[in-house]
Amino acid sequence: MKKKEKRKIPGVGKGLWILIVAAVVLEGTACVQYFTARTSIRKEAEKLAKTELLRAELEIEKHTIEMETAAKALAMMAEKYVDCPDSIFSATRSVVAILNENTSIAVAYVPGYFEGKRTKGKGERIGRFFEPCSSRFSEDSIYTRQIGSAEHDYTLMEWYQNGFIHDSCWWCEPYLDDSGSKTFVVSCSCPVHDRKGQVVAVVCVDLSLDYLQSMSEYLRVYPESFYSITSSTGEQIVPIGDTLPGRKYQSFDEEIDATGWHIEIIIPDDVIYADLRQVGLMIFIMMIIGLAVLVFITTRAARNLIELMNLSHDQERMDSELTIARNIQMAMLPTRFPPFPDYPNLSAFGVVIPAREVGGDLFDFHIRDNRLFFCIGDVSGKGVPASLVMAMTRSLFRSFSAYLDNPAQIVSQINDSLSGEGNKQDMFVTLFLGILDLSSGELHFCNAGHNAPIHVPSSPVPCTILDCLANLPLGVLAGFEYQEQSAQLEVGDALFLYTDGLTEAENGTHQLFGEQRMMSIVESQKSKEKSPQELIEAMQQAVAAFVNGAEQSDDLTMFAIRLINLSTLNSQLSTLKNNHFSLVMRNDIQQIPTLAEWIDSIEMPEELNMPINLALEEAVSNVMLYAYPGTNGQVLVECEKSQEPTTNSQQLIFTITDSGIPFDPTQQKEADITLSVEERQIGGLGIHLVRQIMDDIRYERKDNKNILTLVKSLNC
Amino acid sequence: MKVTIENEGNILVARLAGRLDTAAAAEITPDFQALAEQADKHIVLDCTDLAYISSSGLRLFLTLRKESAAKGGKLQVRNINADIRQIFMMTGFISLFEII
Repeated sequence: MKKKEKRKIPGVGKGLWILIVAAVVLEGTACVQYFTARTSIRKEAEKLAKTELLRAELEIEKHTIEMETAAKALAMMAEKYVDCPDSIFSATRSVVAILNENTSIAVAYVPGYFEGKRTKGKGERIGRFFEPCSSRFSEDSIYTRQIGSAEHDYTLMEWYQNGFIHDSCWWCEPYLDDSGSKTFVVSCSCPVHDRKGQVVAVVCVDLSLDYLQSMSEYLRVYPESFYSITSSTGEQIVPIGDTLPGRKYQSFDEEIDATGWHIEIIIPDDVIYADLRQVGLMIFIMMIIGLAVLVFITTRAARNLIELMNLSHDQERMDSELTIARNIQMAMLPTRFPPFPDYPNLSAFGVVIPAREVGGDLFDFHIRDNRLFFCIGDVSGKGVPASLVMAMTRSLFRSFSAYLDNPAQIVSQINDSLSGEGNKQDMFVTLFLGILDLSSGELHFCNAGHNAPIHVPSSPVPCTILDCLANLPLGVLAGFEYQEQSAQLEVGDALFLYTDGLTEAENGTHQLFGEQRMMSIVESQKSKEKSPQELIEAMQQAVAAFVNGAEQSDDLTMFAIRLINLSTLNSQLSTLKNNHFSLVMRNDIQQIPTLAEWIDSIEMPEELNMPINLALEEAVSNVMLYAYPGTNGQVLVECEKSQEPTTNSQQLIFTITDSGIPFDPTQQKEADITLSVEERQIGGLGIHLVRQIMDDIRYERKDNKNILTLVKSLNC
Repeated sequence: MKVTIENEGNILVARLAGRLDTAAAAEITPDFQALAEQADKHIVLDCTDLAYISSSGLRLFLTLRKESAAKGGKLQVRNINADIRQIFMMTGFISLFEII
């Protein structure tokens, strides 16, 4: 059983660390947030407490000041009526009447001060203790009487004693008022002086503690908070409520300036921070959510990482599979050269220089019935699909060429197979397929959109591009009728076939190797001493020197054959063929110089060379300029030597053929050469020259082609 | 195809060397435009090294000849070979140009 490969994933450990660090950071943030919130909540509580304390202080002071003012007023009245005890009663009464409080107010005289005197109203004798007092117990009843007695010895009272110690109003500690309200009170005392400045009495104004206890209206800042008021000596005026053990409290206090009392607000911690607990809970929940999201993201990232690693593993496998595909593809191509030891009259060599990526170039050949069946092709696109189509094309070539003898038939069959239902990828193949008769040198071929091969003649005639119909690439249209063509190879002639990887080889500055460079190399290797291998190697070196290390983007395939010895070659055929020359040019003015070279290679009287060159140049450049407006096209120039039937004189017949728009140069307006400088037209010289030089000029439009025939008689 | 323009005293001499075919004519059109700008002067087209001329080249010659006539300059063609003389004959240029 195959053990499943366990692979370590470096990202997972890292992910865990990220998680821990993130958790710590989140926790830290949450803590900082919590304590910040806590501080601000405490500050808020303190602010609230202080505000309420201030309000309470103001409220208390309002009362105490009122009491003090009343005490002072009564003291002044008492000083005024210091000799008249009766008037003190009305004085206390009137002051109580002014005060809007349920309070008692009294003037306690030094014992024995009025002793023996009689009061006017009731006529009673004043005793040792004399303390006139008025009390209000309800809204509209003021009760006035003398309350001083041996039982009620006011001299023992703190407030009385304070009157002698302090020279102004003074608040005593709380005590039980046994004479008036029978409740706990605090009293404000104020001394009364006689005319000599001696303290003769003490005014006392009571403030009920019931009143202070009702201050909770202000001081209860939180539902469960409470307050206390303590005197300057620490006596509790309003006692602290019950505090629970184990519960924490915050206290805020304030001193009341007038009385020296302390007000304290006590708030349980849990009450203050009740909101904080909620906030804390929220933060906690948010943190948990955040962590959960982080865990989710981390695991997802880790999973993606694992997928990516698996993917790159797949990629590696794919790459190695591509290499295998490439190797299989290369193994399909012929590698054994010389391939046919039994056919010494044929020399052949081919090479595929593969690009980095799998491409779809192919070439193949075999001999059957003393005929060489060969092909070269290029599948559109790259990669495995292209290599599969290439393999398929090569197999189809092998199968069909095993029994079919007609190149057009073989190509049509391959085309039908490739353009059937199977071709879902819309891939097409350019292919040149040839059948060379090794005994006669007769070449039958069919081209399916491939670059035309180069005919390398052994004679001094320059190399020419084989005149090929383009037809359609394979796999484009099922049932397309491919046209067969033929040509003649002579002893020593070679044929050079290539794919566009050669002409489109790019250098570092994106210049293409181009047809001209290729042609010049072929030309330099045309000698029949040179083997196809030498030709291809020279081409390889030239391309390598040209691209100078730039990456090859497409497969480059070259295949060349040369006939070394054709035993049964017809000598008659040879001479006949020497009388026919042809040149294929593109509609590019820059190609004009090749025309001159071509004419040089045609045997003719020396003096005719220049005029014929001139006439042909005029005719060809006319085609180049006008037949293919805005598009690319070819111009075929052919020359034939023949006998004029009637006069039996030698003549040269040139035909210029193009497949451009209909264009008849014989209809062009001719220049009138008799005119003066001012009147002469710039144009029309070309056709004039052609007419001047040639003996006959004919134009015909045939099979969508312009055919211009120029005849020059040699015997004139 | 090469054109060299030089001053010889008051004369502007343009030396034409090579084959003046259709391709070359396009190449040297700027040189002839430069000459046309000075067509009021005395210009000599030296054809000692000119091997061949086609109609495109002849057009350049004729255009310059018209410009020279319009501006009141002088244009001479020097040292043409037999082939070019033959072409000049065929096109009537022989009577349009002062050939020295």
